[in-house]
Amino acid sequence: MTEGAGANPLAEGLHDYRVADPLVMVIFGATGDLSGRKLLPAIYNLAKQRLLPAGFSIVGAAIDDLTEDAFRKHAADVITKFSRTQPVDADVLHTFLDEVFYIKVDFSKLDDFKALQRKVDELDHARHAGGNRVYYCATPPPTYETITEQLKDAGVTSSAGFHRIVVEKPFGSDLKSARELTQILQRVFHEDSVFRIDHYLGKETVQNILAFRFANSLFEPVWNANFIDSVQITAAEEIGVELRGAYYERAGALRDIVQNHALQLVALVAMEPPTAFDATAVRDEKVKVLRAIRPILDADLAKATVRGQYAKGWVLGEQVVGYREEHAVAPGSLTETFAALRLFVDNWRWANVPFYIRVGKRMPKRATEIRVQFKRPPHMTFDAAKDLDPNAITLRIQPEEGISLRFGAKVPSAGLRLRNVAMDFTYMSSFLVETPEAYERLLLDCMIGDPTLFTRADEVEAAWTFIDPIEAAWRDDRPPLTMYASGTWGSAAAERLIQADGREWHRP
Amino acid sequence: MSAQPEPTPEVAWHGEAVTIGDVLNALNGIRRKFALADAGDEEHPHARNFVMTLVAVATSAVDERRAQRAFMAIAAHHPSLAIVVCQEPKVRSGRIDASITTHLLNPSSPDPAHCELVSLHVPGAAGEHLAALVDPLLLSGVPTYLWWLDTPPFGTKELSDALRICDALVVDSSRFDRPYHSFLGLADLALGSHNHMGVASFQWARLAPWRELIAQFFEPKERRTFMAGIAELGIDYVGDGRGNRIGAALLIGWFASALGWKLERAVGGAGGVGVAHFTVAGGRQLEVAFRSVPKSHLAQGEITAVRIAGASGGSTFRLSVQRDPERQYQVSADARPQEFLHRHHTGGEDDAGLEVAQRKAAQHREVVMRNREALHHTATGHLPGGPAYTSTVLARERRRAENPLVLLTMIDIGGAETLRHVQRVQAEDEATLLLELLSTGGRDVVYGRSLAAAAELIRAL
Repeated sequence: MTEGAGANPLAEGLHDYRVADPLVMVIFGATGDLSGRKLLPAIYNLAKQRLLPAGFSIVGAAIDDLTEDAFRKHAADVITKFSRTQPVDADVLHTFLDEVFYIKVDFSKLDDFKALQRKVDELDHARHAGGNRVYYCATPPPTYETITEQLKDAGVTSSAGFHRIVVEKPFGSDLKSARELTQILQRVFHEDSVFRIDHYLGKETVQNILAFRFANSLFEPVWNANFIDSVQITAAEEIGVELRGAYYERAGALRDIVQNHALQLVALVAMEPPTAFDATAVRDEKVKVLRAIRPILDADLAKATVRGQYAKGWVLGEQVVGYREEHAVAPGSLTETFAALRLFVDNWRWANVPFYIRVGKRMPKRATEIRVQFKRPPHMTFDAAKDLDPNAITLRIQPEEGISLRFGAKVPSAGLRLRNVAMDFTYMSSFLVETPEAYERLLLDCMIGDPTLFTRADEVEAAWTFIDPIEAAWRDDRPPLTMYASGTWGSAAAERLIQADGREWHRP
Repeated sequence: MSAQPEPTPEVAWHGEAVTIGDVLNALNGIRRKFALADAGDEEHPHARNFVMTLVAVATSAVDERRAQRAFMAIAAHHPSLAIVVCQEPKVRSGRIDASITTHLLNPSSPDPAHCELVSLHVPGAAGEHLAALVDPLLLSGVPTYLWWLDTPPFGTKELSDALRICDALVVDSSRFDRPYHSFLGLADLALGSHNHMGVASFQWARLAPWRELIAQFFEPKERRTFMAGIAELGIDYVGDGRGNRIGAALLIGWFASALGWKLERAVGGAGGVGVAHFTVAGGRQLEVAFRSVPKSHLAQGEITAVRIAGASGGSTFRLSVQRDPERQYQVSADARPQEFLHRHHTGGEDDAGLEVAQRKAAQHREVVMRNREALHHTATGHLPGGPAYTSTVLARERRRAENPLVLLTMIDIGGAETLRHVQRVQAEDEATLLLELLSTGGRDVVYGRSLAAAAELIRAL
């Protein structure tokens, strides 16, 4: 929907109607892995759902010397292979490919960007795109600066209409580099036009955290330190680093997952109610939480953080190698593939409520969930209730997306026996609609100009402010790296971290 | 619907000449068995997690199978209860034949889900005692949708009793017998229904691609003012008879109710040509023309083209959306005789043909305006003042298997070159459309107001 133009009366009541203005989307790195696996299939599915406007077109830009037809064939191949909807509809695909174009661009050559500008202008004129552009950097972060500068120098960003840029995480590797990246992007694009994409935020279940908390009157009154004992966030993957060994050696679990995905989940669970579900209000509240996270001091590092690395083991019935045997990983690598942290959000609502974060690779299964554990009743009326687990709400982000509430109930019998039972809500069985892929949602948001689900510069900086001291200590091997067998829930040190507080990790 | 295979049904119970009490006892037994199946001492019984009850009323074995097929497709993803009520000849008074079929979803999961299909064969008209029949079987706490596959008995006590137990009524107004009168009955029902009951129609759902394309054209900020500058609106549809104008009338009603147009007068001529005059913002007059065109591959009443033109802010604009612009068609096996389908030729599908058609439409309008009294006779073959004309268009011919849509959009703005955009819309089967209607709870205020405006237009013709 167009910003600032009021509602379109003809759009009212149209199911899932969210449509962008006509625009030209330029994908840098269009022949690469991200474009092929995620972007092109996602845009195809938007077309299939009739969410792309007449006048929409894609220009693939990459170093490969391809003809337009060759790029279209590549696009058809990757869409056919990776589309979430199968089988691919040949008619829809054929029509979609009519809107796909290609130009070879060497990022170091200004002339190539000028040629890109001419091509985009021609398309714009022929397709009534109104000068609207989205530039998607599906390229490694080091290229962002070059691309941005070349766009500016070629005058590509000077036309009428909107100009937006999309960049993928990681948004820097520490606070300093994140600030530099922001400065680079803001030299050409206004912050409102910079879309930092973290696909986690596009997941329906992540968005549903806000709906669950703020669209219901049942939960928010008890969503605070008076009633909540602790919060656990688990993001487990059964896969190893696969072919990303070289990247992972530089990143590690702390920077790869905790700095963005996990802290974003903390922010969504802990934030105050925004005044509206709009980009400014939501992101303002999130950044307040991130800034309120208590820094972990040197003295607390050993008690509050655990770093681990997977050794060989068995996952899903198959024997797998340890991290140090993976491709492009140093034999003596000290990079963590597992991280466990205990942190506190220092504000009135969350005073002294521990947030336990556990992320890792080569764990028994893929599972991301948030478990909010409540305190026990102040007085035990029933003796039998002493053995009951405390009430808990589990928000399952993936897989089996849903929410479950655990509480105690009387077992039907003559005596008074209590047992834990669960009320379970699953997306799959409760909604009469299918869940879209996160990239579809985020790409459409970007085209529409809604940055609510994208990370703002100050959020990125607040997250790095918390992470940087931990990262620095871990590089000094403080606390020492611990090993865990593949196919387990992390090292014994992680168990000790939470057991020291009299609690246990919840098994997803 | 996605490609996930439909669940394998298992007939769990069957009874002849039974009562609803017997059916309920059987259902309870099946549910108890499911809850305890494969659950060890330490495990919780399987939870029954239904998201809705779908009550389908069928008046023939064919419709019964349609309802069962659609439910099966939906049940593959959404555990629910369906009660399919099918009328049988009155052979045994007060007794019914019933069967219960169950489906297990995700059987390998620790939390398998469960669906139930209850088929009731009742003597006499299905709707006579529908509420009493199904009420004991309904689930508490989940919505109940009533899908009437044929034409509901509008205006009867039986229908209003049945509506009291459900959250929404789902119909297909393009399948109605006596479509003109039934459509007006539907509009009256929607107008008079209480706030919490929804009314939904497959025919409206099938118009969604048209509405989306038109809304998208006006979406950019710089085009919003075009809406107030619409000077012409034309709609082409297939088929003769006033019952076939319902789709076009719904689309016009949608425009009128969304943009605040006030109907002044409307007249219909021979051969499915009609014109409606609206007063729009600022007191300006707007003429909306609609006409019948021959399209042998399409069912009667289908929309084939929408044309909008106007000017605003010193710029002219023209939007044309045509269905299946260059397609070679295969006439389906149940197509009607060609002489019936091609009774009224108004020109081809290209612009030259449209001009011819527009001139013909203008001539019709002139005739109509000169002598409105004679129009009734011209359009219906009945004498003026005679008995009301009843459409005899048969439902079977008015609804075929869903075809994929190919919509060609042509956009002209100012002097710029024409933008051609082809939108391919996948064929949506009955289950998919039903799912769409149910996913909003069967409540759609835009449909309600469009329905009211369409009924006003239909009555005025």
